[in-house]
Amino acid sequence: MSRRAPFDYEINNPLINNSNLFSRLFKDLPLFISICVVLVFGLFMLYSASGQSIGMLLRQSIYIILGLFFMLLVAQLRPESYKNLLMNSYWLGLLLLVYVLINPADGYATNRWIDLWVFNFQPSEIIRLLLPLSLVAYLCRRESRPKMFDWFITTIAAFICSYLVYKQPDLGTGLIVFVSGLIPIFLAGLPYRIILGYLVGLAIVSPYVWSNLLLEYQRQRVLTLFNPEADPLGTGWNINQSQTAIGSGGLTGKGYLSGTQSQLDFIPESHSDFIFSVIAEELGLLGILAMFFIYGFIIWRVFRISYQSETNFERITCSSLGFIFILFILINVLMVIGIIPVVGVPLPLISQGGTSIVVHLLAFGVILSMKKISR
Amino acid sequence: MRPDRDLIDRVNDLRRLKQRSSFLFFFVFVLIAVGLLKIVELSVLDSQEYFTESEKNRIINVPIYPARGLIKLSNGEIVAENIVTHDLLIKKSLLDQSSAEIKDLQRALSEPGHEIKSNFSTTTNGSDKLILITRLSSKQLATYQINKEQWPSIELKTRIRRFLPHKNVFSHVIGHLGEVTKEDERRNRGVKYQPGSYLGKVGLEKRYESEMRGKRGVSVIEVDVFGNEIREIERTLPERSLNLFLSLNLKLQILAREELSGRKGAIIAIDPNTGFIKALVSSPDYNPNILNKTESGFPYPKERSKDAPLFNRAISGSYPPASTIKPFLGLLGLEERAIDANTIINDEGVFQINGEGRKYRGWKEDGHGEVNLHKAIVESSDIYFYELATKLTIDKISEFLNLFNFGKKTGIDLINESSSVLPNRKWKLGNIGETWFVGDTVNMGIGQGYIAVTPLQLAASISAIATKGKIFKPKLVQRLGNQIIEPELLFSIKLNKNENWQAIEKSMISVINSWNGTAHNLYKEGGLKIAGKTGTAQIRSLVDQELTVREEYKGIREIERNRDHALFVSYGPLPNPNLTVVVIVENGESGSSVAAPIALRLMEQYQKEILADV
Repeated sequence: MSRRAPFDYEINNPLINNSNLFSRLFKDLPLFISICVVLVFGLFMLYSASGQSIGMLLRQSIYIILGLFFMLLVAQLRPESYKNLLMNSYWLGLLLLVYVLINPADGYATNRWIDLWVFNFQPSEIIRLLLPLSLVAYLCRRESRPKMFDWFITTIAAFICSYLVYKQPDLGTGLIVFVSGLIPIFLAGLPYRIILGYLVGLAIVSPYVWSNLLLEYQRQRVLTLFNPEADPLGTGWNINQSQTAIGSGGLTGKGYLSGTQSQLDFIPESHSDFIFSVIAEELGLLGILAMFFIYGFIIWRVFRISYQSETNFERITCSSLGFIFILFILINVLMVIGIIPVVGVPLPLISQGGTSIVVHLLAFGVILSMKKISR
Repeated sequence: MRPDRDLIDRVNDLRRLKQRSSFLFFFVFVLIAVGLLKIVELSVLDSQEYFTESEKNRIINVPIYPARGLIKLSNGEIVAENIVTHDLLIKKSLLDQSSAEIKDLQRALSEPGHEIKSNFSTTTNGSDKLILITRLSSKQLATYQINKEQWPSIELKTRIRRFLPHKNVFSHVIGHLGEVTKEDERRNRGVKYQPGSYLGKVGLEKRYESEMRGKRGVSVIEVDVFGNEIREIERTLPERSLNLFLSLNLKLQILAREELSGRKGAIIAIDPNTGFIKALVSSPDYNPNILNKTESGFPYPKERSKDAPLFNRAISGSYPPASTIKPFLGLLGLEERAIDANTIINDEGVFQINGEGRKYRGWKEDGHGEVNLHKAIVESSDIYFYELATKLTIDKISEFLNLFNFGKKTGIDLINESSSVLPNRKWKLGNIGETWFVGDTVNMGIGQGYIAVTPLQLAASISAIATKGKIFKPKLVQRLGNQIIEPELLFSIKLNKNENWQAIEKSMISVINSWNGTAHNLYKEGGLKIAGKTGTAQIRSLVDQELTVREEYKGIREIERNRDHALFVSYGPLPNPNLTVVVIVENGESGSSVAAPIALRLMEQYQKEILADV
């Protein structure tokens, strides 16, 4: 192939310079592709887990396309341009959480949903993204290191959000929101003496929380964890069925669409929180490892972007979002295999659920926007 | 030096971030390690166990029961069949909360004459369900089916039950079914009964339980979490159950039952040449359908419960043979040459051993005068047989009667047959604890004392006279599935002199034909030629030596329970007998006037039936 010198008009025209266009649009092509691989894999598994429902598949596809569109849109923005906006978005998140507590949508037992005419969404899903972003933006609003007051105010801000989620009532998500808030604070350099203070405080408060603030079913969930066989048809039944599915899949699985536990509805919530069991049953340990490999690749690209970026704000934001992504995968998988109690956390990018997919993709949009493009 | 500060800060910031990230990554890796170990444990180490678990989840085995074998007569008439019944059940745990629902159901389904009880019985021992309404009528079933959404806690259970179209007629032959009990399970090791299933408890239902039950098959079904059937994976068909074909004759059976209605007693009619039973009735009887839960009510009139309606007198009842033993003793006397046809004894109504001691009286106060063997059988002289028995000794008598199946089970294809008692010296020492007295032998001469027989034994023994020495095993089932059941010769008795059979038979014919015969009331000019012997079994001993028989008996008569049993044994028609009939009527008093006419009517009916068959 002969290389010719570009014509003059070609040099600055993004429409003609292909490589330039690609890196501008997708910022980090390997990350983008690996995300797409997980999404497509997720669609296949959702088809199996939903009892081969085309309807659910289409719905999920629409959310994915919507999410990808917003992701690429956010990716085009300069972080400095939305930093201030992010700092104030905390108030929007707070507003949504208060609104959902006062004005619950019809047809749900808990006050987690907002009815938006076309579709419903869970503010707690959105707060998982908004909270860490706003906290990073706040902590990095000045050139200098954050002051003592900043550490406390951010911790309190995270606590308020998680308390409102807990009030829905949703203990699991409340804790996750709190951890999502603590991660950026920790990464931003929360002094160790404050951490020590927090831990001592926690140790003093926790017995009171256990006996007074937790509801009976929440306590029961925690207790079931230690002995899931104790009541096979009660709270432990889900976990038993899920473990049976995973275990019976063995090394290579029972084959796509051939998992008996999945196809005969023995796995509860198989299309959402428990989709991991379906994957394990039908594709086996090897399928699980392959999935983990792609997740690992995505995480590696995220931290690569983080460490390459130039400002503290970008670095901490990317790392925080990376850790939150890891946190979600870990919580979901550990829950499904029965190591931690059942909390309503979907498997990122794979489980059915519009809000979850869009929010995760938006987070990747933020990460992509921070990718340093060398010219 | 502002730019340098910036650079240093930025480098410091990055270092701190990496430091703190590593700290978090440490936790992440620990959690990943824990998770991976758990996943490997599940899907590699314990995989087989979980696979079994998942198979257990989705696969259930549904038993397929073969319909219980039918019982028919040889002409195809159905005696026991299976019918479908529908019950409405409710879970015990739901009973309290759905009382309004039950009331509504009872109101909707109540029918005149079909009262719905308010106290409910459990379906099976240890079941968690109660029966609300049993045996829905077709109208009730339709009402329920149309409106069943209104009664969500109530469920319909369909089951196959046993029904006898002739109700009581065959009760003691067929028997009834009952729910499986712990004891049944212990006895039938190897056979698995579902809790609550029914099995034969008595009669042919029990005797041929395994043949009629067949072997259950199984349908392996894949189900989802709600128990909905997805598909059938595999099916093992049940092993066919066998039908029974009986030798009984319907009309004869019905007639025999009618003859005994209102009385206690038993009738057995048997073909002496094969041992196949033509009629077997024990009275009072019961309605097996009620125990089979295909009809409601009480299985027999409550006032008859003291007469043990469930007890099969024909094979389990023990009676003194009384005078019906005389032909056998006469035969033995001839065989042993203790007497011959011309040996004469003067019967003055009283017998004393060696002419002294206790007086043994005959039934006729003044005696029969001079009697030989023929007259002794025809008129049933007691004194003759007191004398003969004493001469023969108990050892000879016991040994000889043993040949005729006294004291032994015949082996009929029913359960609970009694062996009754054929006494000898050893038996008395063992069972009564006393040595044998000559007085016992005297009593034995007229079939009283320790000796006892079942009606079935008596029928088998008398048949041996009819066949001149052949005893066939009595049987009810002529065909089992496709297998023809052959007659089975139990024993063949060889006499030294074959004419002795004829001599006894001649005397037994004269019991009816001769003007002085005890059953001459049966005689009809040109009627059937029958050999027979009457018997009147005393229940209470006549002990007062000074009173005459008639005087003493007057007191006894007043209580029905103490009245004598009436016996009649017979076979005919001669010269080629095809039926042996034994009739025992408890407290019937007179063998000749009560028992004998019944036997004759059965004999006549049977001859008509045979003609009709040909």
